Amino acid sequence: MKRTLSLLLCVLLTLSLAGCAPKEETLQIFAMDTVMDMLAVGSEAREALSASAQEINRLEALLSRTRESSEVSAINSGKTVTVSDETAELLQRAVQYAALTGGTFDITVEPLVSAWGIHTESPKVLSADEIAALLPLVGSGHLHMDGRTVTLDEGCSIDLGAIAKGYASDRVAQIFRDYGVEGGWVSLGGNVYAHGTKSDGKPWSVAIRDPQNTAGAAALVGLSNQFAVTSGGYQRYFTAEDGTVYQHIIDPSTGAPAISDLLSVTVICGNGTMADAYSTALYVMGLEGAKAFWQQHSADFDMVLITQDNILYYTPGLQGKLTVDEGGAYDAKLLS
Amino acid sequence: MQSSSPKLRPTAWDSLIVLAVIVLAIGTAIVFYGGLGGGDHITVTITHRGETVEKVMLEALNEEKTVTIDGTYQLTVVLSRDGVWVSESNCPSQDCLHTGTVSRAGQSIVCLPEQVVIRLDGKSDGPDIILG
Repeated sequence: MKRTLSLLLCVLLTLSLAGCAPKEETLQIFAMDTVMDMLAVGSEAREALSASAQEINRLEALLSRTRESSEVSAINSGKTVTVSDETAELLQRAVQYAALTGGTFDITVEPLVSAWGIHTESPKVLSADEIAALLPLVGSGHLHMDGRTVTLDEGCSIDLGAIAKGYASDRVAQIFRDYGVEGGWVSLGGNVYAHGTKSDGKPWSVAIRDPQNTAGAAALVGLSNQFAVTSGGYQRYFTAEDGTVYQHIIDPSTGAPAISDLLSVTVICGNGTMADAYSTALYVMGLEGAKAFWQQHSADFDMVLITQDNILYYTPGLQGKLTVDEGGAYDAKLLS
Repeated sequence: MQSSSPKLRPTAWDSLIVLAVIVLAIGTAIVFYGGLGGGDHITVTITHRGETVEKVMLEALNEEKTVTIDGTYQLTVVLSRDGVWVSESNCPSQDCLHTGTVSRAGQSIVCLPEQVVIRLDGKSDGPDIILG
């Protein structure tokens, strides 16, 4: 009887000690022109999130195109400037991604992004002449780097908006590791990093938003220690007076909003900066271009492509991780 | 020399302590494992520039409730048992209107220009993160 009672007490005490599990902390901030949510589990979860927020704010101060004191603004001023090692390295990576993607990702497209103003309160439809006048300013060849010394050709400007959040997610991932975060995730306005697993050991469940019904999900994917970034025209756009819809991703080759047969592109890989750059590039490339690019770089990333004709393509690395509703809005097809 | 071992006999106080441990353990376990019902409650939290302006359980709403956000831009948020949506906004992006109605835990509506976040929390079998 005593043994039974002792055993019962032990079981109950063990159950109650489960309440001492590492604490889950969440944080929401507005930065880099978007809302950012973070969740961390661990004994130093609160400190990890606080350090992550500080890091994101530091990067915004360094890389923002709209902050006069940033290094990017200094570069855009037209003077030859010496930037930090960090900015120089990020610029070099941006140039590499531009070369790899055939210029479909290009940080020098900024003059056209600003002229269209689709992300601003006063978007404008540019005429063919206006586009033709600005297009010669686009191209990585206008960015001259010698170590940390950077010069832009006259009239050119850069915007790291299509890569900065991805880079920020890489930095947050490092902070999570430094603070021993057991599990968690960050969502930096369309850039996600899933760290470790949930408390039950399962990967984090990430819903890829349905571009045609943004309150719903097109697919679910389980991620652990991976980055995922989605780009799509549905995320920001404006409707002109004549009813034409102009989405926010500018094709550097035409100087106009990309006309893509894709509704959205999701890139999943082990590097947030790469995922950010590639998701934009693949959207601009369109379905056939994106397939061809993936076939050349299939070891580097996985992807989910949602097309205008309601097909959801996914790559073999996502087999067993991706769930698409049968009979839902999209027909799932495996790429090979 | 006499050797003796004291005889330990449980008293009423011992029983009371055992009972207290059992009650506390069960209580803690129930709280931790999320028992005693309440599983499907969805709480809507509306924050405006970091400040919580409304927090309400959807199922507690007997009729539609309207919350007006007044800042640089004005938003009208409608809350009902069936979900939450932004019915009017004069913000430039109109993303909050495009989002439509949200009704499941984990979903949110965001107005970036006015820094308004409408978030639904609660137990859910749905995703942990929404991407895109």
